[in-house]
Amino acid sequence: MNELVLGISAFYHDSAAALVRGGNIIAAAQEERFTRKKHDSSFPVEAINYCLEEAFVETNELDAIVFYDNPFLSWDRALKSCMMARDPQKIFPKIANSMLGEKVWVEDYALSAMGSLGKMNKLLFAEHHISHAASAFYPSPFTESAFITLDGVGEWATTTTGFGDKNTLQFVSQIDYPHSLGLLYSAFTYYCGFKVNSGEYKLMGLAPYGEAKYKSLIYDHLIDVKADGSYRLNTEYFGYINDFVMTSDKFNKLFGGEPRKPESLITRKEMDLAASIQKVIEEIVLLIAKYTKKETGSSNLVMAGGVALNCVANGRLLREKIFDKIWIQPAAGDAGGALGAALSVTYNYFENDRVVSTTGDSQHGSYLGPAYSRNEIKAFLDFHDYPYTEVSCATEKAKKIAKAIYEEKIIGYFCGRMEFGPRALGARSILGNPLSKTTQSVMNQKIKFRESFRPFAPSVNLDKVSDFFEMECSSPYMLLVAFVKKERQLPVDTDTDDLIKIVNLARSDIPAITHVDYSARIQTVTEESKADYYQIIKEFGNLSGYEMVVNTSFNVRSEPIVCSPRDAYTCFMRTEMDLLVLENFLLWKKEQPNFDETEDWKKNYELD
Amino acid sequence: MREIFEYHSKIGYRFIPEVKARIIHESGGYLVQVNKSGFRCNHDFFKQKKSPYRALLFGDSYTAGNGVSNLNRYGDVLEKQIPQLEVFNFGLPGTGTDQQYIAYKEYAKDIDHDILILGVLVENIRRVNAHYRRFVNFENKVQYRAKPYFEIVNEQLVLKNQPVSKKVLNANELSGKSVDKGGRFPLLGKIAKKWNLKHTIQKYLHYQPFPEYNSCTDKWKLLSAILKEWISDSPKPVLVVPIPVYHYIEGISNACHYQNRFEELRQETGCILHDPLPTLRKYSDKEKREFRFKHDTHLTSKGHKALAESIVPKLRDLLLIKE
Repeated sequence: MNELVLGISAFYHDSAAALVRGGNIIAAAQEERFTRKKHDSSFPVEAINYCLEEAFVETNELDAIVFYDNPFLSWDRALKSCMMARDPQKIFPKIANSMLGEKVWVEDYALSAMGSLGKMNKLLFAEHHISHAASAFYPSPFTESAFITLDGVGEWATTTTGFGDKNTLQFVSQIDYPHSLGLLYSAFTYYCGFKVNSGEYKLMGLAPYGEAKYKSLIYDHLIDVKADGSYRLNTEYFGYINDFVMTSDKFNKLFGGEPRKPESLITRKEMDLAASIQKVIEEIVLLIAKYTKKETGSSNLVMAGGVALNCVANGRLLREKIFDKIWIQPAAGDAGGALGAALSVTYNYFENDRVVSTTGDSQHGSYLGPAYSRNEIKAFLDFHDYPYTEVSCATEKAKKIAKAIYEEKIIGYFCGRMEFGPRALGARSILGNPLSKTTQSVMNQKIKFRESFRPFAPSVNLDKVSDFFEMECSSPYMLLVAFVKKERQLPVDTDTDDLIKIVNLARSDIPAITHVDYSARIQTVTEESKADYYQIIKEFGNLSGYEMVVNTSFNVRSEPIVCSPRDAYTCFMRTEMDLLVLENFLLWKKEQPNFDETEDWKKNYELD
Repeated sequence: MREIFEYHSKIGYRFIPEVKARIIHESGGYLVQVNKSGFRCNHDFFKQKKSPYRALLFGDSYTAGNGVSNLNRYGDVLEKQIPQLEVFNFGLPGTGTDQQYIAYKEYAKDIDHDILILGVLVENIRRVNAHYRRFVNFENKVQYRAKPYFEIVNEQLVLKNQPVSKKVLNANELSGKSVDKGGRFPLLGKIAKKWNLKHTIQKYLHYQPFPEYNSCTDKWKLLSAILKEWISDSPKPVLVVPIPVYHYIEGISNACHYQNRFEELRQETGCILHDPLPTLRKYSDKEKREFRFKHDTHLTSKGHKALAESIVPKLRDLLLIKE
């Protein structure tokens, strides 16, 4: 009944571990947070260690350990793909090395990392898209629901649909590699000069700056889409079939030249390409959703897989009202596969009854990572003699932070358990004033050291969300995009291609979070989900009349989100943040001693 | 991985109070639970006893249990095997007997107990003579930090280096300083280990890891002076347990020198001495090898169990506890 199951994902991107007891999620974390290597795909030794630490259990107490993917099916796919390639000899050695180098030895890795394989003394293997579907359905607030999983590739599948009921999952349809929406999007990510499996968010953020001029070219040449949302890619245009690049010469020729060089100037072409592929993805997702609705008859939808992190498409799906309710796994990428695999074993292997939460989902706000005690933080600060003020009263603390935000200070906020998934949700966040015209450029250039076009998101108290946005529902995981209310929008007249000029134009009375198309990627906050954060937003509302703050992840470009107080302090001192909040400890930048580093820290992070 | 130690101006450092952590280790990992006072003990240090008998146990990482979870340490096994006994574990990894004595004075003096157990890892003779000690920082870099230490001045122990400096030093800043870098020939040791010949060479050469015990050296004088003062300070019986390193358990090195020194200490102070080595040596070669990890020389759960089982009869006798 209360089986303890550890789920592991690794070796592709974003390795992670998750621990579940009888369906209750105890802990989940990505390896990158501990190793400080963005998208770390290595075996998640530290994440597993953390999960066992959180539950305070020995490895031999684990009822089952499950890997989220079947390496032998992946090997089968890789081998067959290689045989179909134009020049198999060219790609076989690398593929063989990749597949046989580590992926088929998962059990050995697990044994070496944990010292034991638990009570079963063996590793179980889930299947990639079952893990994704399980991660979407089981923690959702629905007893029954349709599901869609969309990602690059896992074993063979790239897109699946189905129906979840109580503790079972039934698959309705599947599209296999090399046809993949995830890889299609990644091809454009690559072509526009961003890093694959990392820069997809940038492409999505760039899309509103452009026009979908290339949409018909994409439909005419790259993808054949049927009315039911099924699709096939024209593989001649993609490099990943025959080589280790995303696009082929034919693709490059179709779009007028070589891919954009990373870090070079972003031109109108990249903006239009981003807008075009974004539109195409949205339209296909809608078709798949309609088909899934028809096949399952459910009024609920859950989603996972990397493409489910495309919050613009998610927002469109919501607006189209194909389903009454939508829930998306916040760790929708491969990291979430660890959680899905553990839940799948809980319900399918151990056949536990599934108890659906009556108050919401079972994801615990996705605050599933480590927290640090007062003693731990104090020990760190005292050892280094970093000046701080300790504020134990929650209201007083919230007022001080809200006042600093109101005064347009930038705050590094570290409080409670770290988030699981790519979004910072007020536990490891950088906060700013949404009313300020300069917040976006200051945050992008002096804090995050990233491209100026990238938008910021608002955290808004749920009871006020409809005052600001065309949205009635909750979006606790920042996975939905909605438009700023019409009456708040300001007209903008610009004919420039200069992104900085475009970005700096105020488009509403909340300019810092209003994207160029008047959209915003929203996180709704409730007192129940995160009381400390809710209170800060409330206090900021008392000062400004706006119960909303700017929330971006607590990191700099290419750095994983901070995990420990040490990470947070280091990030704080490397940037132009003004105030650092470590639980109840407040540290002002102007009071801190010089932070000398012997090496150029920016060299430690590979640009994404 | 979570940081589990904090600076302490008198001892040098201690565990962060109430921390719960899992430490990655070649064994797969182990669980660490720390009490409110900053020691890796399952009990909070209440002054009044809750069990009929209470032992205060001091030592270094062998006592604190590096490599094993709390419940598998020899102090905890003692509790399991003698249910009437509670053991307050003050073990602090990396410390010498000097720091352990300071911890005793700082935290244990007022705690009601029946017996004081000093688990003295024989290597501690080197640590009490060092003023700096190596550690591996969060970036996996070897650095050095100051420790408090005693000197004998006019036959009295004089405490130095307190408050302990917070400054962390690199190897190039240590010239002229007394440092415990661990091992007699660290470089040779590394090479021999790489070639997997370390133990063969040591056995062949009758390697003596701690020549400081060969006679009544200055280093032994300092360790024994600390122990003598501690024993005379204690209002309750003191059981001294010299904990052997694997060289002695596995018969690589001759233990007679350190055994002689501790026997002399017993005769001079009247403390109770329990030498676990003869019992530990009785196990088969295979079993003895399993008392330590493949690479880490700390005691495994089996090693802790064997050590505890050697102490149990002595402790029962001392406390007049029937089986």
